[in-house]
Amino acid sequence: MAIRELKVCLLGDTGVGKSSIVCRFVQDHFDHNISPTIGASFLTKTVPSGHELHKFLIWDTAGQERFHSLAPMYYRGSAAAVIVYDITKLDSFQTLKKWVKELKEHGPEDIVVAIAGNKNDLGDIREVPMKEAKEFAESIEAIFIETSARNAVNVEELFQKISKQIPPLENPEVESNDSFKLTRQPSSTARRCC
Amino acid sequence: MAAEDLPSEFDVVILGTGLAESVVAAACSRVGQRVLHLDRRSYYAANWASFTFNGLLTWIQEQNESQTEEVRDWSSLLEEGEELLHLSDTDSASITNLQVFCYTNEEDEEEEAESADPLNTTEEEKPEEFSHDVFIRSDFQTVTFLNQSQAAQTPGEEPEAARPHPSAAQSQSEPTRKKLSYAQLVKEGRRFNIDLVSKLLFSRGSLVDLLIKSNVSRYAEFKNVTRILTYRHGNMEQVPCSRADVFASRQLLVVEKRKLMRFLNSCMEETEEQQAYNGRPYLDFLRDQQLGDNLQHFLLHSIAMVTEDTPTEEGLASTRHFLRCLGRYGNTPFLFPVYGLGEIPQCFCRMCAVFGGTYCLRHSVHCLIVDRDTNRCRAVIDSRGQRISCSHFVVEDGCVGSDRKKMATRAVLITDASVLPGESDQQVSMVTVPPAAAGGPTVKMVELCSSTMTCVPGTYLVHLTCQSTGSAHQDLSPVVTMMFRTTESEEPGNEHGRPFVLWCFYFNMADGSAVEVEGHQLPCNVYVCSGPDGSLGHEHAVKQAEFIFHKILPDEDFCPPAPNPEDIIYDGDEGAAGQEENQGEQEIYLQNHTEHNAEEEEMTPKTTKEKDKNQSRPQTHRNTRSMQH
Ligand SMILES: Cc1cc2nc3c(=O)[nH]c(=O)nc-3n(C[C@H](O)[C@H](O)[C@H](O)COP(=O)(O)OP(=O)(O)OC[C@H]3O[C@@H](n4cnc5c(N)ncnc54)[C@H](O)[C@@H]3O)c2cc1C
Ligand SMILES: Nc1nc2c(ncn2[C@@H]2O[C@H](COP(=O)(O)OP(=O)(O)O)[C@@H](O)[C@H]2O)c(=O)[nH]1
Ligand SMILES: [Mg+2]
Repeated sequence: MAIRELKVCLLGDTGVGKSSIVCRFVQDHFDHNISPTIGASFLTKTVPSGHELHKFLIWDTAGQERFHSLAPMYYRGSAAAVIVYDITKLDSFQTLKKWVKELKEHGPEDIVVAIAGNKNDLGDIREVPMKEAKEFAESIEAIFIETSARNAVNVEELFQKISKQIPPLENPEVESNDSFKLTRQPSSTARRCC
Repeated sequence: MAAEDLPSEFDVVILGTGLAESVVAAACSRVGQRVLHLDRRSYYAANWASFTFNGLLTWIQEQNESQTEEVRDWSSLLEEGEELLHLSDTDSASITNLQVFCYTNEEDEEEEAESADPLNTTEEEKPEEFSHDVFIRSDFQTVTFLNQSQAAQTPGEEPEAARPHPSAAQSQSEPTRKKLSYAQLVKEGRRFNIDLVSKLLFSRGSLVDLLIKSNVSRYAEFKNVTRILTYRHGNMEQVPCSRADVFASRQLLVVEKRKLMRFLNSCMEETEEQQAYNGRPYLDFLRDQQLGDNLQHFLLHSIAMVTEDTPTEEGLASTRHFLRCLGRYGNTPFLFPVYGLGEIPQCFCRMCAVFGGTYCLRHSVHCLIVDRDTNRCRAVIDSRGQRISCSHFVVEDGCVGSDRKKMATRAVLITDASVLPGESDQQVSMVTVPPAAAGGPTVKMVELCSSTMTCVPGTYLVHLTCQSTGSAHQDLSPVVTMMFRTTESEEPGNEHGRPFVLWCFYFNMADGSAVEVEGHQLPCNVYVCSGPDGSLGHEHAVKQAEFIFHKILPDEDFCPPAPNPEDIIYDGDEGAAGQEENQGEQEIYLQNHTEHNAEEEEMTPKTTKEKDKNQSRPQTHRNTRSMQH
């Protein structure tokens, strides 16, 4: 099966559980004291999707969202973005619009957007009604799901939904994009010099 | 902005997000220093930044606004034996002589059937046909005007419909090609990434080495510069670089081909013959090789990229560097980052953040608190009046009132065709334009195509750079009118082949290599980073960053490789999540995998404490895997 690398970036206010969702998805682990500042370069997890394997390269904010200082490079080339809010914090839902706008400004045009209402294990102190969030997501044609990184609820499902929305690969030869990453070894196809 | 305060204690506080500052930030954070990285601007990369078209218009406007600095008294924050050292808040002197010219129509011309753009169909009157007004926008008012038309755009509108057809480029040699209007440039503005500096990466230069060594390279993608051109006798010519190029060249005679091959092979080693020319101009040496005018021109201007009076040893060193860089990634020695050079500082900033660095834009430092006895900076006072203690302070040169001795001249053009149309319309070209008159500056030009993600399909982004002798417009407009067409161009019969300039702007920028950094009466733990220098490569900034890093941390490794994502093993207690955090911090251990398959992401618990050792081991084979092509 062909492996397709898909960059997914996480957005949302500090403390809503972005890093926890990644950690749950990639390592099936939850930790209350997850360090707010130490995000990953990106973590990876591969899931089957139809006739393909989707290898998610999941980029966490590395804390740069805390003082509203995410760099445009963070969004480059993302196939999908997950905007997370905390269902127990109305503020974090109200800033969703700001994140959507930010994504429209800096993100790729055809990006798949998912909205995740996290910490749904804390239903008794909920401040954001599910209906309202769902309607907002529909209005911007985004995937919507409520998750709990703590209790491993809907985290897999979130990424499955994203996988399904990713358009199948067109003929890769058609779009010959010859950009590359720098590596220690020179590319073997490079021509020899004089 | 959220009213959250910054922590009040760091090891290193860095003000300014230019390349050198960002590399220092990444390097310090990587070895465990607590880094606070600030920039008073709302964007990353300072004078190394790249902007969308609309972002650039805003930036231009900001350059014309004079900022007023309020002076406040911070002495209440001082402790015994301390005094204040004020920093300058503005950096007005680094950009001067900014002039903007728009040569395309303000609004769209009559739409053809292919474009079903709803915005255009609602337009009431169409502008007069081919009314190529020249909008000279060199002052504040006209810039304001620019922004009104920008505001007229419906926010959030998808620019999809008006996207120029990729096939538009095919017809580019026909004089009837349709020009993008100014309104379209604004509408497609977010698809531009316009750099303030114009540089390239030498494929074996210090920036490429650093990107690879540190693994910061995983955040960026690159394109090869696909060809080297030179402008001679009114013509654009391709400079043969590789053996294949030399043999395929139609401009070179067979004798010339042989001579060039012989010369290039022989100059790689130092010979006594060469040494005899030490101190004498490289041009003399080349002349005496009996290479002929053509080859001499290529070697001096396009390969060594030096001037007629550069000494031989320097010219040879540049020639060798060029040759060594060939063939590593492509056919020319140069690379260009996709989305523009402004990505590079951001990549280093991300590396810093990943290792715990704190980032805050739109935030500055007003003054330093200096210990009188030791002349060390103990703390800074930020723009909110908070005292933040630090052991080291790194600052961009604009904030310490440095002298600007030398300026670089820049022009950026959006054009509608390549300066040398070829089989492919997706070429990235490095062009050298030798001085028109003896002693004048050599102009370096980089032409970027849309696949570099710096401009929209159907357009090219052209960067011109030279050493300044007058204002940017004085220095470069003769070159622009010589190689391009504007509505000001005369001789309409003679200019079909030349690209048309849709929009351009000129400015001068302080040359960082000439900034006086030493000799300031600065505290001994304060380090100044200079802005972009005028040279083509990035050696200056990388060297400066490494120098500052070693002053701060003499015994630490500079940018050891960050672990690869697949190597990060979460030391989870299976089934008992959250059990082991009695230690206050949960731990992650790294492990080198030897097998790579789809299952490798299934993290297995591991308990060795060899964290540091594992981290710094390069994982060569893995990097190969990240090759996308
Ligand atoms: C959801 C998620 C959660 C993550 N959570 C964490 C996390 O909580 N912690 C984490 O490190 N990575 C975490 N990562 C991985 C990660 O973000 C980075 O890739 C990782 O921090 C780099 O690994 P490192 O341990 O080598 O970092 P280091 O550079 O080692 O830094 C980690 C911290 O440990 C300290 N440290 C480093 N070496 C030593 C030492 N020898 N002795 C004492 N202290 C030392 C550093 O000062 C720093 O504060 C997480 C990733 C994801 C996706
Ligand atoms: N109850 C509960 N707490 C969570 C959940 N997800 C994250 N948290 C907690 O919320 C806090 C912030 O999480 P973190 O992942 O660091 O948020 P980030 O700043 O968005 O990355 C941490 O204390 C987490 O333990 C969840 O699903 N349920
Ligand atoms: Mg986080």
